[in-house]
Amino acid sequence: MSVKKDNNWEPVILAFCCNWCTYTGADLAGLNRMKYPENVRVIRVPCSSRVNPQFIIRAFQKGADGVLVCGCHPGDCHYATGNYYTRRRFMLMKRLLEYNGIDPKRFQAKWISGSEAAKFRDTVIQVSAEIKALGPNTKFVGTYAPQTATEGGQE
Amino acid sequence: MAYTKEQIQDMIRQEAKKALASGEVSAVVGWTSTRFADKTKPFFAETEAECDLLVWNEYCVNGTAKYALDDRYPEKKLAVIARGCDSRAINRLIQDKQVKRENLYIIGVPCDGKDNPICKECQHKNPLTFDVLVGEEVEEQINADRFAEVLAFEKLTPDERYDYWAKQYDKCIHCYACRNACPACNCIECYADQYRTGWQGKAADREQNQVYGLTRVFHVGDRCIECGECERVCPMDLPIMRQTRKMLKDINDLFGDYECGMPNDSKPVLGEYKLEDPDEFM
Repeated sequence: MSVKKDNNWEPVILAFCCNWCTYTGADLAGLNRMKYPENVRVIRVPCSSRVNPQFIIRAFQKGADGVLVCGCHPGDCHYATGNYYTRRRFMLMKRLLEYNGIDPKRFQAKWISGSEAAKFRDTVIQVSAEIKALGPNTKFVGTYAPQTATEGGQE
Repeated sequence: MAYTKEQIQDMIRQEAKKALASGEVSAVVGWTSTRFADKTKPFFAETEAECDLLVWNEYCVNGTAKYALDDRYPEKKLAVIARGCDSRAINRLIQDKQVKRENLYIIGVPCDGKDNPICKECQHKNPLTFDVLVGEEVEEQINADRFAEVLAFEKLTPDERYDYWAKQYDKCIHCYACRNACPACNCIECYADQYRTGWQGKAADREQNQVYGLTRVFHVGDRCIECGECERVCPMDLPIMRQTRKMLKDINDLFGDYECGMPNDSKPVLGEYKLEDPDEFM
């Protein structure tokens, strides 16, 4: 099935948000009625170090056009040290994905605290714009990915 | 005066006999000949007569370190004939608390390169940890650039890189030989065997192979001792070390010079952190 790239195409962005900081930050953005692109699908995780590198490969395979991993700032982790492991892990993961041909903009990580609702909004706007400019993801897309996912709007 | 291969072989047999005669060792792990002149196989010598079957030549390519995990002789030590790479792998296993140093008797043999392309980039030909050293130490290759291949590959365009790996993963037959041979892959139950979790599909298609390939890199990348066993045993000749070395290179660039399996008690890179690590996610 061919996928037409038209102006109506909207990217699917998967955001893994840490329960203690970024998820609260996203909640605050909602409470403050901040407007941000609805391309982002938030998945709540207990800690950003809960995110396994495998999740990211699977996300691309199942039709995500971009993946965002967000957690507390270093030093602020609810579990004291979790995000330090995240930092090492995803700095390597980002380079490994780039080595395997994925644009580094498609996989991003950010530290967003519970009070930084505006930073969450700005990050989502920026990532969404960048991925929109890149177009649908064609790499690592699996045989079993929902065919409509690349067209956006797959709920 | 350098020893010949036959002299070293004799000395290995003598040391193996001595170890068995001491009564502390239940078996000696080494290599023995097969019916093919250019192949050897791993071998457990349990008696002094069997020690004469041990061989040492350029076809002794199998890693012996993984046999250090063998638990069929719980009451006595296991003697392992270790080249440079094997001794690094044993160090790594000790650091990962998979095996106790006092349960091993390591017969170190300086190795001048085997019939294996990865030996051209070998950084440690001499064993780093041993109880007894056979022969004399050989000169290390200081100019070998282990990341040359990775640097050349990084210069390709992203599409070329993706297509290259996609083609490689299309070839993979999902046999897990790379996992079984790897001394860093020592989980009692591998995630890939836990079929109920859905982590790893069994189909040998591109999708599952990509997941397996990249997950494997992440599981062993920070503990890889660069013995190249994964690449050697691969029946489809996938360039597995090209993927793993990329991670090793990044670890060196980001977190300082790092070599795995040195005789110290270092932790794997992804198992620890430093407050002053570079941060690009601000």
